[in-house]
Amino acid sequence: MNEVWVIAEQRVGKLMNVSFELLGKGTELARQLKVGLAAVLLGDRVRALTRQLVCYGADRVYVGEDPRLRFYQSEVYADLVAKLVDTHKPGIVLIGATSIGRDLAPRIAAKLKTGLTAHCVELRIVNEDTEKPQLVQVVPGWGGNLMVNIACPVRRPQIATVSPGVMTKCDWEEREGEIITLAVDVQQELRVETLEMVHEESTGAALEEAEVVVAGGWGLLSAGGFELVEELAKVLGGAVAGTRPAVDSGWIPEHRMVGQSGKTVSPKLFISVGASGAPQFTAGFLKAKVVLAIDQNPNAPIFDVADIGLVGDLCDILPCLVTELKETGLRS
Amino acid sequence: MSLNIIVCIKQVPHPEHFSRITLDPIRQTISREGIPAVINPPDLHALEEALRIREEFSGKVTAISMGPPQAKCALEEALAIGADDAVLLCDKSFAGADTLATAYSLACGIKKLGRFGLILCGNETIDSGTGQVGPQLAEFLDIPHVTSVIQIAFEQGSSLIVKQALEEGYMKVRVKLPAMLAVAKGINQPRLPTVWAIMEAGSKEMQIWGASDIGATQDMIGLEGSPTHVTGIFERDTTRRREILEGPPRQIAKKAVNRLHELITT
Amino acid sequence: MDFAPTREQEMLRDMVRAFAESELAPNALSFDEKGEFPFEALKKAAKLGLVGIINSKEYGGSDMGHLARMIMIEEISRVYPPLGFYFQTGQIGMYGLQNFGSDEQKKKYLPPLCQGDTVMAWALTEATGGSDASTLQTTAELVGDEYNVNGRKVFITAGETADVVGFVAKAGDGTNLLLVEKGTPGFTTPRREGRLGLGSIPVSELAFTNCRIPKENLVGQEGRGVRLALAGIGAVGRPGAAAVSLGIAQGAYEVTLRFAKERNLYGKPIVQLQAVQFALVNMNVEIEAARWLCYYTGWLLDQGKSPGEIGSDIARAKLYATDVANKVCLKAAEIMGGYGLIPEYQLVRRLRDALEMLPAAGAQDVQRVIIGGAIAR
Repeated sequence: MNEVWVIAEQRVGKLMNVSFELLGKGTELARQLKVGLAAVLLGDRVRALTRQLVCYGADRVYVGEDPRLRFYQSEVYADLVAKLVDTHKPGIVLIGATSIGRDLAPRIAAKLKTGLTAHCVELRIVNEDTEKPQLVQVVPGWGGNLMVNIACPVRRPQIATVSPGVMTKCDWEEREGEIITLAVDVQQELRVETLEMVHEESTGAALEEAEVVVAGGWGLLSAGGFELVEELAKVLGGAVAGTRPAVDSGWIPEHRMVGQSGKTVSPKLFISVGASGAPQFTAGFLKAKVVLAIDQNPNAPIFDVADIGLVGDLCDILPCLVTELKETGLRS
Repeated sequence: MSLNIIVCIKQVPHPEHFSRITLDPIRQTISREGIPAVINPPDLHALEEALRIREEFSGKVTAISMGPPQAKCALEEALAIGADDAVLLCDKSFAGADTLATAYSLACGIKKLGRFGLILCGNETIDSGTGQVGPQLAEFLDIPHVTSVIQIAFEQGSSLIVKQALEEGYMKVRVKLPAMLAVAKGINQPRLPTVWAIMEAGSKEMQIWGASDIGATQDMIGLEGSPTHVTGIFERDTTRRREILEGPPRQIAKKAVNRLHELITT
Repeated sequence: MDFAPTREQEMLRDMVRAFAESELAPNALSFDEKGEFPFEALKKAAKLGLVGIINSKEYGGSDMGHLARMIMIEEISRVYPPLGFYFQTGQIGMYGLQNFGSDEQKKKYLPPLCQGDTVMAWALTEATGGSDASTLQTTAELVGDEYNVNGRKVFITAGETADVVGFVAKAGDGTNLLLVEKGTPGFTTPRREGRLGLGSIPVSELAFTNCRIPKENLVGQEGRGVRLALAGIGAVGRPGAAAVSLGIAQGAYEVTLRFAKERNLYGKPIVQLQAVQFALVNMNVEIEAARWLCYYTGWLLDQGKSPGEIGSDIARAKLYATDVANKVCLKAAEIMGGYGLIPEYQLVRRLRDALEMLPAAGAQDVQRVIIGGAIAR
């Protein structure tokens, strides 16, 4: 009762990272509430994955297997999870806001007639020593200009979805957990059935949609070219862009130019490399969530519009940045 | 094969003006005063898809929205783009609804409209961005749902084969009608209303229904029917931090990456 | 007096704005630089009902009226004035056909024009004068069942690309309004002139050398050519030019205002410096005044007023809006400093286009002559 649960997600026999991240947050919440942390896993022959869930924090894992659950099946998954939740009545349920998670979570919440908060960036407990501790769910609103606190004061469970990359997973710990097998037998004809899952490499996102944009400017001329920018973009899974001088030098096509006469972008991360920060350039990324600027001139105006500024030789800094990112992995 | 298609639309503030939305920190209310409103852009893709299906198979497209009286403008626009008729669910008691109460209200309205084959909506709204109303609406109507739909094809009989977008790739899904599909941006290019259609919009039928018209019970709608509540709103600090790092490249690169991780995930 | 826009007018404005932003804004600079007029966008505009906006539904038009047309041209010109300018001249001929043409002519030419499948040009101006129609030199001599046309027209917008051209020629004691189709033997478009502004619009001379056109191509009555032409210019050309100027002014104002909010000097955005702010305020006021002169003109035409009856109102709109467009663009260039004269800031092309509006649909002083004639009587 009142436990913290994570609905884990696996695809073709591999657990999604966000499930571990949520177990990390779940561990913290469960500790505060002094309750247990459980995970729910559905699929076909996924028992072996339960070990990972335990070692990343789950005290117990409910696992349901059936050949017909090899792919995500929305009606069956939603039914199973809702019934399980209704039986055991956890207080908090966390679900990763992946494409599948966003398909599943609302249906479960509607079945249980309870509250669901999507894309939480922060979760914390208040009133923990009372009879009814509350989960405060924080989400960005209105394009990120405002932060909204949401609560589900009465109904239970309190369900929240969280995007990958927001929470942090615990360190792996060798431990034992309880594995409970669910009786699953999918015999009925499905009204909605996933037939096939096709993997496609994401083609370079359009500049305006990219979550990460790396733009290079005039300073790259002396740094020997645009490859440094391209490599940095690649390791971040981001889009390559540039200033007017970059276009004039033939490094990028016109449609990748950021600025007043080019594109306006509002990515989560905008990196300016070797651009001094002329207003016609900086006007193109005013709404970026975080701006990182790299330039060799400490007085360059670009540093006035950056959150983090790195001063130094591009040839030295960029390779270090790439190495560091490869090691720590900052993919959104 | 003739299909009654229902398109759920929401009127939202114009995204270019989001930064003008002000917060009264003491009364904890949002002011949208003077900010122009538009049809939620993803809903335009849903409407476009409905019109394409109607063009291919014949049938009727009804636009429905739950909102305050000014949401009429959004429905008028939907009519100008091509919907055959429109319904506005408008009632003081609908106010303050979270996605569950909204989905319930829409379900009551749709039930009153009668038989339908397909419900289409945008995958999420650009203001709250939850993406929850579609699947919850499907639950209240007891029909299957698919989200992130980027392609719709008709199989014979009354089922569809759709592509559901994943982060890298897609799932091929068969779904029986009646069903609810939430469509993603990449599915089509929405048409603009023509001058002819703009002039005809006024003569198309638009109904306005309140809670009692659609048989909605008070404890399921509005603030009362919402399990979630907003308990506080805060302005996000948007001035740039200007943390300048100088020093050995390896060191500052490391510091920068750590700091980036912190800043991006808050 | 109800000054509130109707719902239809609001939806029209939103639609044309969305059209302009998606079809014209991204490539506005390159249309001009490459001299490539966006004919594809023109065709899309036609399919949306914009080309036939003052033509009746019977012939494929959308018939929303003259005020709607002012709004449409304003919104297009706000983003890319050359396309707005095309509407200004291209619709003169369509007005002529609608109001003075025979049923056969309307059925033949209007539907494809309204659909954007064909394009029409308007040719009155000659080297000897545009504003003084009595100096026409082009002749059309009736020979049997045909007119034999000789002469030259200058500064003709879309002259070389148009599928059909409406033109005025001397015939007998009077003048005739006639139609010539592209490819007619003896009709050529010999030279394309370079211009300062309205960059991508193809402009050419038209040359008639013993060009034979069927007598069915007479629009309206014999001898009435110039009068019909002036009606068309009055109802369509001149108000259209006013709306183009209005759009240019609005677009330039928005560019400068945005710049002033982003450009920091002396520790704050320059829009907070009083001199700059006041200059922007002046623009704001004058554009608004120009707007109402333009819309009033459209409204009067929708009320059924003939262009002759409201000549002063039409002249006022063209005169004032064009003056405002030029003032705004010049002041904008000042406010934006060096950046104002860099093409990629999107002001330079508007400045050039504003200058081109001075002689369009009657030079500024010709507008004064019209109004002066009315007040000095």
